[in-house]
This record gives sequence, structure tokens and C-alpha cells, in this order.
Amino acid sequence: MSLCKTRLQEERKQWRKDHPFGFYAKPTKATDGSLDLTQWTAGIPGKQGTLWQEAVYPITIIFPEDYPSKPPKVRFPAGFYHPNVYPSGTICLSILNEEQDWRPAITLKQIVLGIQELLDTPNPDSPAQEPAWKAFSKDKQMYEKKVKEQAKKYAIAG
Amino acid sequence: MAKDTYLKKILGNDRYSRVRQTKILMVGAGGIGCELLKDLVLTGYGEIHIVDLDTITLSNLNRQFLFRHHDIDKSKSLTVAKAVDSFNYFDTKLVPHHGNIMDAKQFPITWWSQFSYIFNALDNLEARRYVNRMCLYLKTPLMESGTTGFDGQIQPIYPYYSECFDCQSKVTPKTFPVCTIRSTPSQPVHCITWAKEFLFHQLFDEVDSSAGGLNDAAKIKSETDDKDEIENMTKEFNELVDLRKLIFNSDARTFFTELVNKIFKVDVERLLLIETLWKSRQKPVPLIITQYEQDLIRILDDQTELQKIFGDETKVWSTLENLVILFKASESLQRRLQGEESFLSFDKDDEDTLNFVTASANLRSIIFNIEVKSKFDIKQIAGNIIPAIATTNAIISGFSSLSGTNYFKYDFEETQDFSRIYQESSSIFISIKPNKYITSASLVGPNERCPTSSIARGLLKLTPVEVKELSLKWLVDKLIEQYDYADEAVALILGKSRLIYDVDFDDNLEKRLGDLSGFTDGELLMVQDDDGELESIELYISIVEDHESDYLPQIKLGPKKAITEESSNGSSGAPDVATDTIVIDEEDEDLVEVTEPVVKKRKIEVEVL
Repeated sequence: MSLCKTRLQEERKQWRKDHPFGFYAKPTKATDGSLDLTQWTAGIPGKQGTLWQEAVYPITIIFPEDYPSKPPKVRFPAGFYHPNVYPSGTICLSILNEEQDWRPAITLKQIVLGIQELLDTPNPDSPAQEPAWKAFSKDKQMYEKKVKEQAKKYAIAG
Repeated sequence: MAKDTYLKKILGNDRYSRVRQTKILMVGAGGIGCELLKDLVLTGYGEIHIVDLDTITLSNLNRQFLFRHHDIDKSKSLTVAKAVDSFNYFDTKLVPHHGNIMDAKQFPITWWSQFSYIFNALDNLEARRYVNRMCLYLKTPLMESGTTGFDGQIQPIYPYYSECFDCQSKVTPKTFPVCTIRSTPSQPVHCITWAKEFLFHQLFDEVDSSAGGLNDAAKIKSETDDKDEIENMTKEFNELVDLRKLIFNSDARTFFTELVNKIFKVDVERLLLIETLWKSRQKPVPLIITQYEQDLIRILDDQTELQKIFGDETKVWSTLENLVILFKASESLQRRLQGEESFLSFDKDDEDTLNFVTASANLRSIIFNIEVKSKFDIKQIAGNIIPAIATTNAIISGFSSLSGTNYFKYDFEETQDFSRIYQESSSIFISIKPNKYITSASLVGPNERCPTSSIARGLLKLTPVEVKELSLKWLVDKLIEQYDYADEAVALILGKSRLIYDVDFDDNLEKRLGDLSGFTDGELLMVQDDDGELESIELYISIVEDHESDYLPQIKLGPKKAITEESSNGSSGAPDVATDTIVIDEEDEDLVEVTEPVVKKRKIEVEVL
């Protein structure tokens, strides 16, 4: 749909003009040398002063053909440790859910900021995986240890 | 008395003679197409081209009256063209084409440009949108039509003068969040989606490992070394993998028992452990197969009983009956996989797959205390189908043809100025609601927020030699020169979503056009002003042996229009009940694919015709 591509190019332009510090987001390069506007990779920095700090967590963002009527699918790597992230890496977040708070006017910037916010403020009412959810609600020490280990894995180089 | 005496009286001599000399296109030769072609031939058009990609099936014959039993498996377009011969009183030249209207190789834009008027008789949104866009490129008037059940509508489209097909948002099929489908279903459709797209798919279909399918286990292992964690995360998937293996290494009884035990007991018990889910929801109740085992064995041995259960597709089955159906279906699917077939896809017309999905969806519904549906109902939901009604098609075709002659009131040979005719045309809606059998609405101008008609369109004409020799840089310069983009900031998007150039991405500038993959005849090139001042233009790449000196449409781009998302968002606002009219005729069944209903938000005047 023409709306999908014009909007995605618009998002790219807006991001170029102004994006939050420490984040990155770019369409992936296809083998034929073009950029695929429907498939992006992005990085979410953990907020300073939280368990998630000093790391940038990679996500992939896939925009469906009927974007922006429908929200993009956003994923961390499979097995990402967070109570609201499915084992496949898919993020369970209301603004990314068509049935809940997705609005076509939500921008890429708002999405990545929303995900950054989710990192340190998980929603215990919508568990998406067992290990992180259980630890978060019953064994905070274990939870913190795991999150810190994960932060090390995605630590900002240097 | 000559056969055209009344036609002349009805249409008037001038209009009739224009009709006689006109070349038109009818897209689709199915439910509406059969009716419509009859009407068009009897209206006396000079030449009618007919395009359809389909062949005739048995289930078409109840309403697609130009087809007979001996026509089954023949091309629809070729068959209709022959079928109308017996009443082709005005020697209309009929030119059938068997093919996909969206195939730009078979139907290049030069082919489209020969028609003065186009009638759509289509059954799907994608092709409708495509024809609509072609009409916008060429400024060819279009008559859109569609039916669903007892509802139907026609809409005359005068490109850039009246609303185009996309000017009113279409409700797209609903998708459900993973969370609802996997853990907290609350409607029958949630369970049906789960049964069809998750359970059936994972067990029997070809699994796409890249899309978080069964191979997720391997992916997870690459992410973490913690043993317990791996175990937890991969548990559900691994169990499905094991189940899938059982298809090949066990008998029907074992497979079935393991299946029911895992899916309807173990998984449900595990969900119950997540207490927060059930704070404000009713808890599911795991299914204990042993309670039903004796009865199940008895019925499976009792042919009369079996036939009774299988025989009634409109009855709502009990837990036991659903188990019986599930057993028989999984037994037969298992046998098929052990035999020739390497995987099975859900198909509403494949009894085994439909039975499996029906029974497993219903068992899940029972567990979650959701209404249980009959197989007949589930077939409609799972297959996205609703009935096609011959009478609706006949009425709508009549309106389509009659209303189409309106265009020939005036002579448009020289101009494409539709400012007068569009105000003299209307959309027509029919329904079964009392007092709303037939309503009509005057046409209004294009929706400024329409994602399709609010951007400029035209042809980018190049010869094969130019494509080979000219570079992307040449094209970018040419665009800037022609349309006067400030700061020379343009973005070029080829096809659906491939960005080939913008100010931040100049890797391809020196490439020849022909070396850019996808830069071919019939492909679309969207040119966007990255400064946001000028409207976007979508160019249709037309590669022709020769063209006049101009490569690009000689138009002036207007200021950028505010295409806001409301226009594309079908979910905004409740549809106006009085006019929530619909499009679509079907194909392959006595039931039809539902495409998305058109939701009209505008008030319409009601006229008694």
C-alpha cells in the first residue's frame, strides 16, 4: 500500500532529524542493494540508574503491509529475559497491540521509548514467559542477577 | 421490429451510437461477471474484453448461469465469451483473456489504455485496488460493484473527480493478539484461530523455522546456557515436536491420547499456574480424557452412531462427540502423513482438516467456558466465508450496466473532464433491511485524506535502451528538474517498500536503471518530497519501444496533503448502520470468501427507485 511506504519513509526522515540519545534505528539492507523499509533493526539503551543500564538491547521491527492501520511486530532476540517478552522474543506491550492501545499516529520514536520504559517497569499482569515472570514476582534477587547478566551480554562496547 | 428499437428509445440515439462504438473491459467472469456480461452484450457495446484467471468448478454452477456441467475445469473468460454468442444480437466483438489482471506482463499499461470504460466484477480487495489504481493512472472511468449475501453496491468512479475505491476505508480482517489466542481466549473465534493457525499448523503443516516456529528451541539455546531456563522456555514447543514425532512412530490411539492429554490437560494446568491471568477471568477447566474413554471406545466401534455424529454438521456437538470427531480426524491425518503427503495445510474443503479444527476448537471452547459452535458455523469462520446469492448478483449487475450507460450521455472522446458527469451519477446500495432495499447516494469528490487518490500519478516512459544506459542519478536529476523539489531532497521507493535513494542513502546513484533489481515494466516508483512540501507522485514504469520526448508526466505537483491515519484506520468510529454496505462476490464455493466490507461513514439520501 502506498500509505505504508510513504509513512515509513516519513518515519525514516523524522528519525534522521531527531531521535532520542543512545538509540539507533535503521531499515535493513537487502541483497539487491536497496533498503527494505518494512524491516528495521534498532537498539534500545537501558536507562541509567536501572538494572538495565550500560547496555543496548537489539530489536527487530517488522512493519506489516497495512501499517499504520496495524502495528509493527517488535522483537528482542529469542530467549530475551524479561517478564513481558515471549520466548520467541516478541514483546507484549499495549501500544504494540492492535486490540489495545495501538494508534496509527504512534511514531517509531514513541515505540522505542515505550520499550525502554518497559525494560525496568515490567507489567506483572501480562506475563509472557515463565522464568523471568516467576523470578520477578517471587525471587527478586534471582531476577536482578539474571537481568544484570543479560546487561553484560549486551554491554556497550568499550 | 429491429432488436435495438427499445435500446434506442431507452438510451437515446446519440448515446446508443456511442455505446455501439465503444471498447470496454470487464474484469472478473464469476458471480457478478456472468450476469453483467449478459447485460453488457444486450446493451450493444462495440467490443468487450473479459479477463479472469479462474477455471469453472461445480460449485459455481448454481448461480454462474453461463456455465454448464461440461464446462467444469475450463477457463471462465473463454467460456463466457462463447456462452453469450447465442444472444449476441448486436455483433459485439468479444475478446476473452485468461490471466491475472494484476499481471503487468500480460496486461501492460499500453493494453489498459485502449478502453474507454471499465467494469469491475471482482471478488477480492487486492485486484479491486489494482484496477482502481490503473484507472487513476489513465483517468479511465470505472464501475465498481460487489455483493455479500443480500447486500450489494455499485460505485461509479471518475478518477480524481469522484471518490476512488480507496477513498472510503475498508475494514480489514481482524487479527488477534498472541496473548489472547495462546492463553486467554474469550470468543469462539479465538479458539478457532488457535486450532487452525497454531495447533493444526504446528502439528501437520510445513513449519517455517524463521517465524518463531518449532525451531525456536534451537534459537533459544543459542541465546542462553542456563539449563533450567532452556527447559522452561522450550517445554511447550518441545512437547509439540514430540507430538509431531508421534504421528510417525505410534498408532492412532497413542497419538490421540497424548494429544488430548497435552493440549487439553497439561497445557491448561500450566496456564492455571499463572494466577494473575485468572484474577478477573473465569478459570479454564482441564479436560480429563479418562472420563470419556469408555464411551469413546464404544462409539468408535459403532458405525451407525459414528454416521449419526458425522452426518449432522449443523448440530452443536457435545464434549464426547467432539472427542470422537477429533479421534477420527487425527487418525486420518496421521495416516495421510505416514503415506504420500509430507505436510498438510488447513483447507476448509478438506474434511479431515476441517474436522480436526472444529473438534479441537470446540474442546478448547468447552475448557474455557466459551460457546461451542457447529461444524457448519466453524467452516464459515475458519474459511472466512459467507453465502453468495444469485439474485443479489443479478440485481447489482443490472445496476452496474444501467448506471454505466450514464457515462455515454456525453462525448468524452477529446477530454477527460468529468466535472459534470460525476455530479449526475450515484452509488447504489441494496440490502434486505425493510425500507433499505434500494438506496442511492450522490458521488462526492475524492477524499483529501485518501492514501490512493491524494497522491499524483502518471507514467514514467523509457525505452529499453534508456533503461540500460541511464543511471539512477540521471533519473533523480530529471525528477528534480521536472517537479522543482526544494533542496533537491527526494526519496525513491521502488515496488512495495524498497528504498533505492534518499539524501541519506546514495549507494545506488551510479547504477544503471536496468541494474536496479525490480526496475521493470509495470513496477511502481514512488517519489516523495523529503522536505514535505510537495505531494508525492507514484510513477508507473512503462518500458516502450519509443515514446515522445517526455519521460515524466507533465503535471504540476500540488502541496502535500495531510494524509492522516484516520483515513486508513478502519477501526475508527462505529460504522453507520444504515449504510454499512459491502462489496464482494466470491469464487470457488457455493460459499464465498469474505473480503473486507466497505464501511460508508457518510450519510446518504434515501430515494425510492
